[in-house]
Amino acid sequence: MSQRFAIVNARLVDPASGRDEAGGVLVEDHHIVEFGPGVRGINLEDVEVIDAHGAILAPALIDLRAGIEPPFTPGGETISSLSAAAAAGGIGTLVLGPHAATPFDTPETVRALGHETRPMRVRMPVAGGATRSLVGETMSEIGLMHDAGALLVSNGDAPIADTRVLRSLLSYASHFEAWVALRPADACLSAGAAATEGEWAARNGIPAEPTVAERMAIERLAALGELTGGRVLIDRISTEEGLEALSRAKRKGLEIGATASVNSLLLNEVDAGGYDASMRLVPPLRFEADREALVRAITEGLVDAVVSDHRPLSVEAKSEPWPEAAAGSTGVETLLSGLLSLVHDGQLELIDALRVVTSGPADLIGLPQGRMEEGAPADLVLIDGDAPWVYRAADGLSARRNAALEGRRFQGRVLKTFVAGAMIHTNDN
Amino acid sequence: MGRADFHYDFPHRSLLSIADLNPLDVQMLLERASHWHGVNRTPDKKHDPLKGLTQINLFFENSTRTQASFELAGKRLGADVVNFSVSASSTAKGETLADTARTLAAMNPDLLVVRHKASGAPDFIARETGLSVINAGDGTREHPTQALLDAFALTERLGDVGGRRILIVGDILHSRVARSNVLLLSLLGAQIRLCAPPTLLPADADRWGVEVFHDLDDAIEGCDAVMTLRLQKERMSGGYIPSEREYFRFYGLTHRRMEAAQPGALVLHPGPMNRGVEIDGALADDEEVSLILDQVEAGVAVRMAVLEMLGEQTRRNEERRR
Repeated sequence: MSQRFAIVNARLVDPASGRDEAGGVLVEDHHIVEFGPGVRGINLEDVEVIDAHGAILAPALIDLRAGIEPPFTPGGETISSLSAAAAAGGIGTLVLGPHAATPFDTPETVRALGHETRPMRVRMPVAGGATRSLVGETMSEIGLMHDAGALLVSNGDAPIADTRVLRSLLSYASHFEAWVALRPADACLSAGAAATEGEWAARNGIPAEPTVAERMAIERLAALGELTGGRVLIDRISTEEGLEALSRAKRKGLEIGATASVNSLLLNEVDAGGYDASMRLVPPLRFEADREALVRAITEGLVDAVVSDHRPLSVEAKSEPWPEAAAGSTGVETLLSGLLSLVHDGQLELIDALRVVTSGPADLIGLPQGRMEEGAPADLVLIDGDAPWVYRAADGLSARRNAALEGRRFQGRVLKTFVAGAMIHTNDN
Repeated sequence: MGRADFHYDFPHRSLLSIADLNPLDVQMLLERASHWHGVNRTPDKKHDPLKGLTQINLFFENSTRTQASFELAGKRLGADVVNFSVSASSTAKGETLADTARTLAAMNPDLLVVRHKASGAPDFIARETGLSVINAGDGTREHPTQALLDAFALTERLGDVGGRRILIVGDILHSRVARSNVLLLSLLGAQIRLCAPPTLLPADADRWGVEVFHDLDDAIEGCDAVMTLRLQKERMSGGYIPSEREYFRFYGLTHRRMEAAQPGALVLHPGPMNRGVEIDGALADDEEVSLILDQVEAGVAVRMAVLEMLGEQTRRNEERRR
C-alpha cells in the first residue's frame, strides 16, 4: 500500500468528535491528513482509493487488557498469534498486561517485550507488573519500567491485600503520573471465589464472593487515591454497587478511571448454568441487574474503556471442575462484534459502543490514536455493521480456544484494519 | 547594639531541639565552634574548660561516628567521658528507660549525650533526671548537633547561609537530620528545598515553609548547596522505593545533575554514605564540591562548643545554688 491513500464512501463514526456522517479519510505518511464529507473519489488524483461502499469507518480499537502465555508454552498464545487475532478483531492498539505466570515486573522484561512487539502490526504497549511477581508485597521498579516504555502498571488479577503496600504503590507511581490498574476485589472476600454469591452459587455449592467485595475495594482504592494523589484505574468493574461507588469517587473529582470486560456486558450468571468452564471468568459472572447497570454506565460515560480481557488458556487448564478451572476467556476477535451486538439489541448507541474502545481509553491513558483528527495516526477500522456471522474459536487466529462467546451469533464484523496507514488485516470473504 | 554592648549567657540547660534556639544562641555556638575548629588543627588540642565534669554518652542505638565525635569533643575539653551502650545491656534485661536514666543519674554525671530510636526520648530522660542532656539523635525527630555542624561547614565555605538556596534530598520522612536542618537553616534565613519520592516525604512537608519537589533535576536548579541523605537499607526493598538502582536513577546525586546548580555549588552528606545509591562515588570524592569530610571535622568542633556552653551553664547553676 502506498504512503498516500484514501478511503471514500464510508460512514465516518468518530466518538472523539461525536461525528457520524458520510465521508472519507485521506492518509499520508502514516497519519490522517484530511477527513470528512469533502474526501471523495472525484477530487483525489494520483491517490489509491478504497471504496468503502457505505461501510462504517472508525478509529481502530484500543484494548487495554490482554494476556500472553509464557514463552515456549506448547500451543500457547505468542505475541505474533495474538497480534494477528487482534488485527482480525479490528484492534490497532493492544495493551499486554501481566498475569501470575507472565508478571512483566522488571524493566528488563518490559524492554524485551518492547523489542519483541515492535515488528508486530498491531501496536502492543505493555502494562508493567505493579508489584514483584504480582504478590502485592513489594513495589516493582515502576520508574525504570516507565523509562523502559511501560504504558501503565497493573497488578493483574491479584488484589493487593496490604493497605500500606497499596498506599506506597499509589504514592510512588503518582510521581511518574502512571495509571495503576487494580482489580476491584476485596482480597479476603474474593479469595477462592469462582462465582457471585447468590442463588446459583448457593444451589450449586460454588465458593462465591458477595458483590459488596467489589464496592468495598473501589471505596478503599478511591480513599487511597485521594490520600496519595495516585491515578487509580479500576480494572474491570462489574457490579451495580461498584458503579455507584465509582460514581461517588468521580464526582469528588478524583483521578480514577474504570474499565469493564466485554464479557460482563454480554453475559450474566445464567450463562454459567451448565458448569461450562469457559464461563469461569474474573470478575465472575454477575446478576442481570449488574449487567444492565454496566451497559447504562457506558452510555453515561462512567466507564472509560471496555476491554476484551483476552486470556488464552490451555485445554487442560480449563478441563477441571468449575471451581478449579482456570479463569479467563479469549476475546480479541469478538470485542467489536460483542459491542455491536448490544447496538443491534438497542441497548447501546453505536457511537457510545465505539467510544469505550477508541477515544475513551486513548483519552484516559493519553494516546494520540483512537480518534479522527488531522495529524492523528492513521489507525482505522472498516466495519460491515450488519454482516451476520457465528463465532467459532477454531476458525479464529488466536492460538487458544477457551472462548466464553463460542458459538455466539453476531451481527457486524471487521472488513479491514489499518495501523499507521498500513493495512494489517483484510477480510476477503 | 553590638554583641559587646550587652551580656548574654547561653541560656539553655540542654540541647534537645533546634526549635529551642534563637539566632543569637546559634551565632554563639558557631563562634565557639570556629574557635575550637582552629584549636583542633594544632598539636595542642587538649584544654580544660570541662575539667571535673563527667560526660556520659548514652547510646541506645549503635553509632560509631557520632559517639566517637562526642567522645573526642568531651575529652579535648577535659571532661571525664564514659561510653554507655545500652542496646546490649539493661534494656535487653527488661529495664525501663526511666530506671536506666535514674540509675545513671545516681552516678552524678553532669552531661548526658543521648541517642535513642524513639522520638522524644532525650526530653524524657532530661525530665526524669534533671540533668543536662544533649540530643544525639532521637528517632525520626531531631539531630541538632548534625544540623549545627552542617551549618558550620556551609558557613565556612559560603560565608553566610542567609538567602542561599539549599536543597535536602532523600528520605525526608525518616530523617532527623532533615528535620533539624530545616529548622536551623530557616532560622539562618536560607531558602530550603526538599526533594524525595512521594513515599519518602511527610504528608505535610509543604507546610514547613519549604519548597517541595519530587523531581531532582527541577529541585537542584540554582541551588548553592545540596545535602543528600542516607537511605537505610531496609527502605530500599520495595516498601518505600523499589530498588537501589531505581533510587539512584531518579534521586542519585551525580556531577551531571549538579550542573544545574549554581556554579561551585557544594555537596553535603551526613554519612555513612551508600555510594551508588544516594550519591555517586566520584562526586563524594570531589574535594572541590564535597563537604563530606569537612562535616566530620566540623562535628568535633561544634560538639565541643555545645558541651562547653552547657558545661558553663551547669557550673553557673551550681554556683547559684550555693
